[in-house]
Amino acid sequence: MTIITKDITVRHTIFTLTNQRALYWKEHETLVVSDLHIGKTAHFRKAGIAIPSAVLDSDLHRLQTLIDHFVVRHILIVGDLFHAENNTDIDQFQRFMQANSSVSFELIKGNHDRFKDAFYQTMNIAVFKTHKDIDEVRFVHDEQHCDADMFCISGHTHPGVTIKGRGKVFIKLPCFEVSEQRLILPAFSEFTGLNTKRTVDYAVCYGFTAKSLFAL
Amino acid sequence: MKNVQDSPGYQIIVDWMHEKGQKPFDFQLQTWNQYHNGYSGMVVAPTGFGKTFSVFLAVVIDYLNQPEVYKKGMKLLWVSPLRSLAKDLAKAMTIAVEEIGLDWEVEVRNGDTPQKDRRRQERLMPDVLLTTPETLHILFTQKNNSRFFKTLNCIAIDEWHELLGSKRGVLTELAVSRLLTLSPRLQIYGITATIGNLDEAQKVLIPYEHIKTKRIVAKEKKKIEIVTVLPDEIEVLPWAGHMGVKMAAKIIPIIYENNTTLIFTNTRNQSEIWYQQILKIEPDLAGQIAIHHGSIDAELRNWIEDAISDGLLRAVVCTSSLDLGVDFKPVDCVIQIGSPKGIARFMQRAGRSGHSPYETSKIYFVPTHSLELIEAAALKQAVKDKRIEAREPMVLTFDVLIQYMVSLAVGEGFNETELFTAIQKVHAFHYMTEEDWHWALHFITEGGNTLKSYEEYHKVIIDDEDGLYKVKSRRIAMLHRMNIGAIVSDAMLKVKFFSGGYIGMVEEYFISKLKPNDHFILAGRVLEIVTIKDMTVLVKRSKRKSAITPSWLGGRLPLSSYLSHYLREKLSESLHPKTTEKELKFLYPLISQQEKHSHIPKKDEFLIELIETKDGHHVFMYPFEGRLVHEVMAALIAYRLSLIKPLTFTIAMNDYGFELLSDQSIPIDEHSIKTILSKENLMEDVIGSINASEMASRKFRDIAVISGLVVQSQPGNRKNNKSLQSSSGLIFRVLEDYEPQNLLLRQAYTEVFNQQLEEVRLKEAFERISKSKLILKFAKSFTPLSFPIKVDSLRQSLTSEDLDARIRRIRDDVMKEIQI
Repeated sequence: MTIITKDITVRHTIFTLTNQRALYWKEHETLVVSDLHIGKTAHFRKAGIAIPSAVLDSDLHRLQTLIDHFVVRHILIVGDLFHAENNTDIDQFQRFMQANSSVSFELIKGNHDRFKDAFYQTMNIAVFKTHKDIDEVRFVHDEQHCDADMFCISGHTHPGVTIKGRGKVFIKLPCFEVSEQRLILPAFSEFTGLNTKRTVDYAVCYGFTAKSLFAL
Repeated sequence: MKNVQDSPGYQIIVDWMHEKGQKPFDFQLQTWNQYHNGYSGMVVAPTGFGKTFSVFLAVVIDYLNQPEVYKKGMKLLWVSPLRSLAKDLAKAMTIAVEEIGLDWEVEVRNGDTPQKDRRRQERLMPDVLLTTPETLHILFTQKNNSRFFKTLNCIAIDEWHELLGSKRGVLTELAVSRLLTLSPRLQIYGITATIGNLDEAQKVLIPYEHIKTKRIVAKEKKKIEIVTVLPDEIEVLPWAGHMGVKMAAKIIPIIYENNTTLIFTNTRNQSEIWYQQILKIEPDLAGQIAIHHGSIDAELRNWIEDAISDGLLRAVVCTSSLDLGVDFKPVDCVIQIGSPKGIARFMQRAGRSGHSPYETSKIYFVPTHSLELIEAAALKQAVKDKRIEAREPMVLTFDVLIQYMVSLAVGEGFNETELFTAIQKVHAFHYMTEEDWHWALHFITEGGNTLKSYEEYHKVIIDDEDGLYKVKSRRIAMLHRMNIGAIVSDAMLKVKFFSGGYIGMVEEYFISKLKPNDHFILAGRVLEIVTIKDMTVLVKRSKRKSAITPSWLGGRLPLSSYLSHYLREKLSESLHPKTTEKELKFLYPLISQQEKHSHIPKKDEFLIELIETKDGHHVFMYPFEGRLVHEVMAALIAYRLSLIKPLTFTIAMNDYGFELLSDQSIPIDEHSIKTILSKENLMEDVIGSINASEMASRKFRDIAVISGLVVQSQPGNRKNNKSLQSSSGLIFRVLEDYEPQNLLLRQAYTEVFNQQLEEVRLKEAFERISKSKLILKFAKSFTPLSFPIKVDSLRQSLTSEDLDARIRRIRDDVMKEIQI
């Protein structure tokens, strides 16, 4: 796994974008991720749809590599940590957290996070109902809780970008969607689709592959 | 052999027919005799000659002769591919039964059957049940369903040629296999129109050695008269496109000359456009013409079908939705808009007119673009030569097998060894290995090969008490029942009036591009979107005259190999047409242009055109093998070229040829072309190119739905199982990464090979090319042959208005150059 990074400056704050579906905020030693959808594959399996759980293994492996690489102290999840009901995937995530006991986990609740707050607390995850503010930056799941005066970092849409080449070549990649007011994170889980509709027309998209990260 | 004519049952039926002024056709008599003697088999007869009554009355006669053998409950199970077919057949059978004086119940069961009727049927099945393969499989998921079928004496598969060649055919084969285990003395009958592989068709339906079979072929033949509708001048016909609305004025007089005309179009989108166009040209026809296609509300369709039968309509614009079905007596004329793409389909459609047995069927062919005139000439020749395509049965469709296994597990449960023995006898799974079987068992119980990675997956479990494979979870059972069938469509949304009233369905893909207050056309009406919720589009009537028409994906069929053979022949003759071939003579100006700027390939030639535009470098090749084969060939050629030099291509194709477009120059010259088109290492290179393309992923879409990996959301259903939504593309990727040995994945590749790529056809094509003289031409601009490919490939991204403008511009360019 190769971690490619790119620093961007918004309102005098430096954020590090990575090609591994996560953003690192060095100043606060915080890794920001969104839409992990843990439990999705198990949820499918329970409904009789055979999706291998190796998908989760690979997601968590990626998260571990990022933690080790940046020496992360805090992980902030901007929504959709758990996909549906309590299942074995969540047990696996709990073991993952225990193995990383030095890292604090915080969650801004997304539309999929339907457990009671107490459930997260027993797992040692601090929960924010709608948003969390750090300095001038507001973290939310979707845009309805953004504040016009603050820079807003969110998830929810699973942004993707289509690259069109001459001779009608189409390639779809996950991306960070960045505009003056907002930054939207790609979905962290690989078992998610892509949404190529932009929320704002003039947004810059940082698309990435296993080996590169570039603005489009 | 006993002779049915000596039996009292026969006498009753013949007397009854005599009263109505009818007597049995020879093939009907033969069928009765054969059934009487315990045979199974296949009845081959054209529509309009009472093929229904061949098998139906055979059972009635047998019952009249020995009622004591028949038990209370279902005696005859009638499987037909279309719901609408069942309804009308049931009507005809009920009348017959009443007139003969039998106390039989004849009933239909399908997705439209009301709940209370189903419950009643489940208490006591009617004597004759008419249903579809899907509904039959849903019956298999009921508790204690075997009691429904224990009394069964005969199963008839109507329009077997329509089912054969698709996964619905495999569903049918599996159903027959199960019914045989429940009712061992079952007699099996297929009823089919003429196809190229009748022997095989029978073997697929009845592969059982212990069953005696015979085939009955009606001697009665339909006469067909084909008339090509030509425009006043060749310029009227566009070079490309498949709508052809400019020809609409030409068919108005035809509509007026006849009582009732069926106007067949190839896509739902085209039918909507033609319906609008006809009304625009001839407003007087309002109220006398109707539109009929698969996305229109069933009730409305039923009404239209009744109106045709009653002779209330002058014309109906339709799609393959009216290919099959009961005879519409008043229909005396059929118009085919655009190429029917196959000889069998063309003949089937022609047969929809002139239904009395000895009448001639008249069909008008309306070309939608100039080159279709060659197809018209080819069709005429093919019909004259009586060359009808074969329908290739599908084999080793593990998705259907898995669906069937789960259906049985939801129903009564199955025994591993018994089911394996039964499945191996089914034609589609003759060559299934024991290993494959164990994989399938493993898949439905454990999910995949590595046990650990499928924890919590307990779709099917082995019952501790009786050792049967069963589904215990109610949710899984419910999801499975919703998903039964082998017809996969895109997510569809219901379209309803805000004030109430259901209009039809559109694809989610189409609606996703529209907003409230946007307008579109459905069922010939201009509608305005009010709001979209719960998989339903609420609309109101709009006063606007025009709007965009939904494009339903799919639907455009590829050219059959038989027809393409004739097409090449006619094209090569086109420079010197015979005097009788007015289509080719008419086309001469265009043909001579092609010859002047490039070349008309003769029978023993293969044409390659190189064109450079500001879009990039184009290569056009013309194998005339149909769109699907061209897609494979294009990918293969692109792959071989990329071995010479790293290049990226985009690919476009139609039924005549394909295009490779690249932003860099393409290394094709007199020398390299031979290697690029070589037949050496063909299959190896094809494998290389398929792996690099998305064809398998696309094939996997249907497989994922049929095998239950993707949950289809039901139109209008509030519970759309949102948390279980995922795309087949995503699952394809996940399985490729984590479970590459998955048999369903392998099936996707095999399907690309067997159907899309048609290995045999591809090999033959390259064999032919290798013997042909290769003609390499550099053209300055698009030629009459290349232009349609160019334009078709534009369709996806541009709206109709821009497209037309663009076509005009490109065409003007070409014309300008020609003048110079």
